[in-house]
Amino acid sequence: MFFHMVLERNMQLHPRHFGPHLRDKLVAKLMKDVEGTCSGRHGFVVAITGVDSIGKGLIRDGTGFVTFPVKYQCVVFRPFKGEILEAVVTMVNKMGFFAEAGPVQIFVSNHLIPDDMEFQSGDMPNYITSDGSVKIQKDSEVRLKIIGTRVDATEIFCIGTIKDDFLGVINEPGAAA
Amino acid sequence: MSGEEEENAAELKLGEEFLKAKCLMNCEVALILDRKYEQLQQMSDDPMNQISQVFEKSLQYVKRFSRYKNPDAVRQVREILSRNKLAEFELCVLGNLCPETVEEALAMVPSLKSKGRNHDDDAIEKMLHDLSLIKKFE
Repeated sequence: MFFHMVLERNMQLHPRHFGPHLRDKLVAKLMKDVEGTCSGRHGFVVAITGVDSIGKGLIRDGTGFVTFPVKYQCVVFRPFKGEILEAVVTMVNKMGFFAEAGPVQIFVSNHLIPDDMEFQSGDMPNYITSDGSVKIQKDSEVRLKIIGTRVDATEIFCIGTIKDDFLGVINEPGAAA
Repeated sequence: MSGEEEENAAELKLGEEFLKAKCLMNCEVALILDRKYEQLQQMSDDPMNQISQVFEKSLQYVKRFSRYKNPDAVRQVREILSRNKLAEFELCVLGNLCPETVEEALAMVPSLKSKGRNHDDDAIEKMLHDLSLIKKFE
Protein backbone atom coordinates (compact mmCIF):
# COMPACT_ATOMS: atom_id res chain seq x y z
CA MET A 1 0.00 0.00 0.00
CA PHE A 2 1.12 3.54 -0.72
CA PHE A 3 1.15 6.01 2.15
CA HIS A 4 1.65 9.72 2.45
CA MET A 5 3.62 10.51 5.56
CA VAL A 6 5.88 13.01 7.25
CA LEU A 7 9.43 11.88 7.92
CA GLU A 8 12.40 13.57 9.49
CA ARG A 9 16.05 13.46 8.54
CA ASN A 10 19.24 15.19 9.58
CA MET A 11 20.92 16.60 6.53
CA GLN A 12 24.61 17.49 6.45
CA LEU A 13 25.53 20.33 4.17
CA HIS A 14 28.97 21.46 3.04
CA PRO A 15 29.74 25.11 3.86
CA ARG A 16 30.32 25.94 0.17
CA HIS A 17 26.53 25.81 -0.31
CA PHE A 18 25.82 28.51 2.26
CA GLY A 19 24.32 31.54 0.62
CA PRO A 20 21.01 32.79 -0.73
CA HIS A 21 20.14 29.40 -2.22
CA LEU A 22 20.81 27.37 0.88
CA ARG A 23 17.25 26.08 1.12
CA ASP A 24 17.13 25.01 -2.53
CA LYS A 25 20.42 23.21 -2.19
CA LEU A 26 19.20 21.44 0.90
CA VAL A 27 15.97 20.31 -0.75
CA ALA A 28 17.78 19.14 -3.88
CA LYS A 29 20.20 17.13 -1.75
CA LEU A 30 17.34 15.67 0.25
CA MET A 31 15.64 14.43 -2.91
CA LYS A 32 18.86 12.96 -4.23
CA ASP A 33 19.63 11.22 -0.94
CA VAL A 34 16.21 9.93 -0.03
CA GLU A 35 14.14 9.21 -3.14
CA GLY A 36 14.44 5.65 -4.25
CA THR A 37 15.82 4.39 -0.95
CA CYS A 38 14.28 1.66 1.12
CA SER A 39 14.21 1.05 4.84
CA GLY A 40 12.62 -1.79 6.70
CA ARG A 41 10.63 0.56 8.84
CA HIS A 42 9.08 2.87 6.26
CA GLY A 43 9.42 0.90 3.06
CA PHE A 44 10.38 2.46 -0.26
CA VAL A 45 10.47 6.24 -0.49
CA VAL A 46 8.93 6.86 -3.90
CA ALA A 47 8.78 10.64 -4.09
CA ILE A 48 9.11 13.70 -1.88
CA THR A 49 6.07 15.90 -2.22
CA GLY A 50 6.98 18.78 0.04
CA VAL A 51 9.26 20.09 2.77
CA ASP A 52 7.47 21.08 5.96
CA SER A 53 10.21 22.68 7.96
CA ILE A 54 13.94 23.07 8.16
CA GLY A 55 15.23 23.46 11.67
CA LYS A 56 18.19 25.43 12.97
CA GLY A 57 21.51 24.21 11.66
CA LEU A 58 24.19 22.95 13.98
CA ILE A 59 27.85 23.39 13.07
CA ARG A 60 29.86 20.21 13.52
CA ASP A 61 33.05 20.65 15.44
CA GLY A 62 36.16 20.38 13.35
CA THR A 63 34.61 19.95 9.90
CA GLY A 64 32.52 23.01 9.25
CA PHE A 65 29.67 20.87 7.99
CA VAL A 66 26.27 21.94 9.25
CA THR A 67 23.50 19.53 10.21
CA PHE A 68 19.91 20.61 9.56
CA PRO A 69 16.91 18.66 10.84
CA VAL A 70 14.46 18.54 7.91
CA LYS A 71 10.82 17.47 8.04
CA TYR A 72 9.43 16.41 4.70
CA GLN A 73 6.31 14.82 3.23
CA CYS A 74 6.72 11.87 0.97
CA VAL A 75 4.93 9.04 -0.75
CA VAL A 76 6.16 5.67 0.51
CA PHE A 77 5.33 2.15 -0.55
CA ARG A 78 5.24 -0.41 2.24
CA PRO A 79 3.94 -3.97 1.84
CA PHE A 80 2.22 -5.53 4.84
CA LYS A 81 1.67 -9.11 5.84
CA GLY A 82 -1.97 -9.99 5.14
CA GLU A 83 -2.37 -7.27 2.55
CA ILE A 84 -4.07 -8.14 -0.73
CA LEU A 85 -2.80 -6.41 -3.83
CA GLU A 86 -2.43 -6.74 -7.56
CA ALA A 87 0.89 -7.50 -9.21
CA VAL A 88 2.45 -8.24 -12.58
CA VAL A 89 4.14 -11.60 -13.13
CA THR A 90 7.78 -11.17 -14.14
CA MET A 91 9.16 -14.69 -14.15
CA VAL A 92 7.74 -18.21 -14.03
CA ASN A 93 9.68 -21.37 -13.19
CA LYS A 94 9.02 -24.76 -11.66
CA MET A 95 9.52 -23.47 -8.12
CA GLY A 96 6.74 -20.91 -8.53
CA PHE A 97 6.60 -17.41 -9.94
CA PHE A 98 7.87 -13.91 -9.22
CA ALA A 99 5.62 -10.89 -9.45
CA GLU A 100 6.20 -7.17 -9.04
CA ALA A 101 3.96 -4.65 -7.34
CA GLY A 102 5.63 -1.29 -7.86
CA PRO A 103 9.13 -1.45 -6.41
CA VAL A 104 8.60 -4.65 -4.44
CA GLN A 105 9.22 -8.22 -5.58
CA ILE A 106 6.88 -10.98 -4.48
CA PHE A 107 7.55 -14.69 -4.80
CA VAL A 108 4.67 -17.17 -4.96
CA SER A 109 5.89 -20.73 -4.41
CA ASN A 110 4.23 -23.61 -6.27
CA HIS A 111 2.84 -24.83 -2.92
CA LEU A 112 0.84 -21.62 -2.77
CA ILE A 113 -0.57 -21.94 -6.27
CA PRO A 114 -3.89 -23.84 -6.45
CA ASP A 115 -3.36 -27.60 -6.76
CA ASP A 116 -5.23 -27.85 -10.06
CA MET A 117 -2.64 -25.68 -11.81
CA GLU A 118 0.26 -27.52 -13.43
CA PHE A 119 3.64 -26.21 -14.47
CA GLN A 120 4.41 -26.29 -18.19
CA SER A 121 7.91 -25.61 -19.41
CA GLY A 122 8.81 -24.28 -22.84
CA ASP A 123 9.89 -20.92 -24.17
CA MET A 124 6.94 -19.34 -22.34
CA PRO A 125 6.85 -21.28 -19.06
CA ASN A 126 3.47 -21.09 -17.34
CA TYR A 127 1.05 -22.54 -14.81
CA ILE A 128 -2.16 -23.76 -16.37
CA THR A 129 -5.34 -25.49 -15.20
CA SER A 130 -6.11 -28.92 -16.68
CA ASP A 131 -8.92 -27.51 -18.81
CA GLY A 132 -6.69 -24.66 -20.00
CA SER A 133 -9.08 -21.92 -18.90
CA VAL A 134 -6.67 -20.17 -16.53
CA LYS A 135 -3.03 -19.55 -17.28
CA ILE A 136 -0.30 -17.70 -15.42
CA GLN A 137 2.69 -16.59 -17.49
CA LYS A 138 5.01 -13.63 -17.76
CA ASP A 139 3.06 -10.33 -17.85
CA SER A 140 -0.12 -11.85 -16.40
CA GLU A 141 -1.82 -9.69 -13.81
CA VAL A 142 -2.55 -11.50 -10.58
CA ARG A 143 -4.22 -10.62 -7.33
CA LEU A 144 -2.31 -12.08 -4.41
CA LYS A 145 -2.06 -11.99 -0.66
CA ILE A 146 1.22 -11.25 1.09
CA ILE A 147 1.92 -13.84 3.77
CA GLY A 148 5.43 -12.92 4.73
CA THR A 149 7.97 -10.13 4.34
CA ARG A 150 11.73 -10.17 4.61
CA VAL A 151 13.52 -6.95 5.15
CA ASP A 152 17.18 -6.27 4.61
CA ALA A 153 19.05 -2.99 4.52
CA THR A 154 18.12 -1.91 1.03
CA GLU A 155 15.31 -4.17 -0.08
CA ILE A 156 12.02 -5.62 0.99
CA PHE A 157 11.11 -9.01 -0.33
CA CYS A 158 7.70 -10.67 0.01
CA ILE A 159 6.21 -14.12 -0.13
CA GLY A 160 2.67 -14.29 -1.48
CA THR A 161 -0.12 -16.78 -2.06
CA ILE A 162 -2.88 -17.12 -4.63
CA LYS A 163 -4.44 -20.12 -2.92
CA ASP A 164 -7.44 -18.41 -1.37
CA ASP A 165 -10.85 -17.11 -2.35
CA PHE A 166 -10.92 -14.30 -4.90
CA LEU A 167 -7.19 -14.51 -5.58
CA GLY A 168 -5.45 -15.43 -8.81
CA VAL A 169 -5.24 -14.21 -12.39
CA ILE A 170 -7.10 -11.01 -13.20
CA ASN A 171 -6.29 -10.89 -16.89
CA GLU A 172 -3.95 -12.61 -19.26
CA PRO A 173 -1.61 -10.80 -21.59
CA GLY A 174 -3.09 -10.65 -25.04
CA ALA A 175 -6.50 -11.75 -23.77
CA ALA A 176 -8.04 -8.44 -24.82
CA ALA A 177 -6.80 -8.76 -28.39
CA MET B 1 11.67 -6.12 16.74
CA SER B 2 8.47 -7.39 18.33
CA GLY B 3 6.28 -4.95 16.37
CA GLU B 4 7.30 -6.67 13.18
CA GLU B 5 5.93 -10.01 14.34
CA GLU B 6 2.56 -8.58 15.22
CA GLU B 7 1.98 -6.95 11.87
CA ASN B 8 -1.11 -8.17 10.04
CA ALA B 9 -3.04 -6.08 7.56
CA ALA B 10 -6.10 -8.34 7.76
CA GLU B 11 -6.58 -7.26 11.38
CA LEU B 12 -5.44 -3.71 10.70
CA LYS B 13 -2.24 -4.16 12.67
CA LEU B 14 0.07 -1.86 10.79
CA GLY B 15 2.06 -0.30 13.56
CA GLU B 16 1.31 3.06 15.06
CA GLU B 17 3.16 5.11 12.49
CA PHE B 18 1.29 3.70 9.51
CA LEU B 19 -2.10 3.80 11.21
CA LYS B 20 -1.71 7.53 11.61
CA ALA B 21 -0.32 8.06 8.12
CA LYS B 22 -2.61 8.79 5.23
CA CYS B 23 -3.09 5.88 2.86
CA LEU B 24 -3.19 6.53 -0.85
CA MET B 25 -5.12 4.63 -3.47
CA ASN B 26 -3.25 3.65 -6.63
CA CYS B 27 -5.19 6.21 -8.65
CA GLU B 28 -4.19 8.99 -6.24
CA VAL B 29 -0.56 7.96 -6.38
CA ALA B 30 -0.79 8.03 -10.18
CA LEU B 31 -1.97 11.65 -10.06
CA ILE B 32 0.81 12.68 -7.68
CA LEU B 33 3.61 10.91 -9.53
CA ASP B 34 2.40 12.09 -12.92
CA ARG B 35 2.50 15.67 -11.76
CA LYS B 36 5.95 15.23 -10.28
CA TYR B 37 7.15 13.61 -13.50
CA GLU B 38 5.92 16.60 -15.50
CA GLN B 39 7.73 18.97 -13.17
CA LEU B 40 10.95 17.05 -13.61
CA GLN B 41 10.49 17.09 -17.34
CA GLN B 42 10.25 20.86 -17.35
CA MET B 43 13.38 21.22 -15.28
CA SER B 44 15.62 19.11 -17.46
CA ASP B 45 15.64 17.71 -20.97
CA ASP B 46 16.32 14.21 -19.92
CA PRO B 47 14.09 13.40 -16.95
CA MET B 48 14.99 9.72 -16.99
CA ASN B 49 18.40 10.68 -15.65
CA GLN B 50 16.99 12.07 -12.45
CA ILE B 51 14.40 9.45 -11.78
CA SER B 52 15.05 6.59 -9.45
CA GLN B 53 14.12 3.07 -10.39
CA VAL B 54 11.68 2.99 -7.51
CA PHE B 55 9.87 6.02 -8.91
CA GLU B 56 9.73 4.60 -12.40
CA LYS B 57 8.47 1.20 -11.29
CA SER B 58 5.88 2.75 -9.01
CA LEU B 59 4.59 5.01 -11.75
CA GLN B 60 4.26 2.11 -14.19
CA TYR B 61 2.53 0.03 -11.55
CA VAL B 62 -0.04 2.61 -10.48
CA LYS B 63 -0.81 3.50 -14.08
CA ARG B 64 -1.44 -0.14 -14.88
CA PHE B 65 -3.64 -0.72 -11.85
CA SER B 66 -5.53 2.56 -11.51
CA ARG B 67 -9.25 1.92 -11.60
CA TYR B 68 -10.12 5.56 -12.04
CA LYS B 69 -8.23 7.89 -14.33
CA ASN B 70 -10.12 11.12 -13.97
CA PRO B 71 -9.22 13.31 -10.95
CA ASP B 72 -12.88 14.11 -10.21
CA ALA B 73 -13.77 10.43 -10.11
CA VAL B 74 -10.86 9.79 -7.75
CA ARG B 75 -12.15 12.48 -5.40
CA GLN B 76 -15.67 11.03 -5.51
CA VAL B 77 -14.43 7.54 -4.71
CA ARG B 78 -12.68 8.77 -1.61
CA GLU B 79 -15.75 10.74 -0.60
CA ILE B 80 -18.09 7.77 -0.93
CA LEU B 81 -15.79 5.41 0.89
CA SER B 82 -15.06 7.86 3.70
CA ARG B 83 -18.80 8.15 4.43
CA ASN B 84 -18.72 4.58 5.67
CA LYS B 85 -16.49 4.95 8.71
CA LEU B 86 -13.70 2.90 7.24
CA ALA B 87 -10.12 2.94 8.38
CA GLU B 88 -7.77 4.59 5.90
CA PHE B 89 -6.22 1.27 5.01
CA GLU B 90 -9.58 -0.44 4.38
CA LEU B 91 -10.71 2.48 2.27
CA CYS B 92 -7.71 2.19 0.00
CA VAL B 93 -7.87 -1.59 -0.37
CA LEU B 94 -11.50 -1.28 -1.50
CA GLY B 95 -10.64 1.60 -3.83
CA ASN B 96 -7.74 -0.34 -5.34
CA LEU B 97 -9.37 -3.72 -5.82
CA CYS B 98 -12.97 -2.67 -6.51
CA PRO B 99 -14.64 -5.88 -5.32
CA GLU B 100 -17.96 -6.60 -6.99
CA THR B 101 -19.79 -8.59 -4.34
CA VAL B 102 -20.13 -8.31 -0.58
CA GLU B 103 -18.50 -11.70 -0.20
CA GLU B 104 -15.51 -10.57 -2.22
CA ALA B 105 -15.24 -7.32 -0.28
CA LEU B 106 -15.16 -9.23 3.00
CA ALA B 107 -12.49 -11.59 1.67
CA MET B 108 -10.36 -8.59 0.64
CA VAL B 109 -10.94 -6.65 3.86
CA PRO B 110 -11.68 -9.14 6.65
CA SER B 111 -11.47 -6.39 9.26
CA LEU B 112 -14.83 -5.04 8.02
CA LYS B 113 -16.53 -7.78 9.98
CA SER B 114 -14.43 -7.62 13.11
CA LYS B 115 -16.37 -7.15 16.28
CA GLY B 116 -17.56 -3.76 17.40
CA ARG B 117 -18.14 -2.52 13.85
CA ASN B 118 -21.58 -2.21 12.42
CA HIS B 119 -21.11 -2.85 8.75
CA ASP B 120 -24.03 -5.00 7.68
CA ASP B 121 -24.12 -6.59 4.25
CA ASP B 122 -26.63 -4.06 2.91
CA ALA B 123 -24.41 -1.11 3.76
CA ILE B 124 -21.43 -2.76 2.11
CA GLU B 125 -23.45 -3.63 -0.94
CA LYS B 126 -24.68 -0.07 -1.31
CA MET B 127 -21.11 1.20 -1.05
CA LEU B 128 -19.89 -1.21 -3.75
CA HIS B 129 -22.81 -0.25 -5.95
CA ASP B 130 -21.98 3.45 -5.61
CA LEU B 131 -18.38 2.73 -6.58
CA SER B 132 -19.37 0.81 -9.68
CA LEU B 133 -21.59 3.73 -10.71
CA ILE B 134 -18.64 6.12 -10.62
CA LYS B 135 -16.67 3.73 -12.78
CA LYS B 136 -19.51 3.50 -15.25
CA PHE B 137 -20.00 7.25 -15.64
CA GLU B 138 -16.39 8.28 -15.52
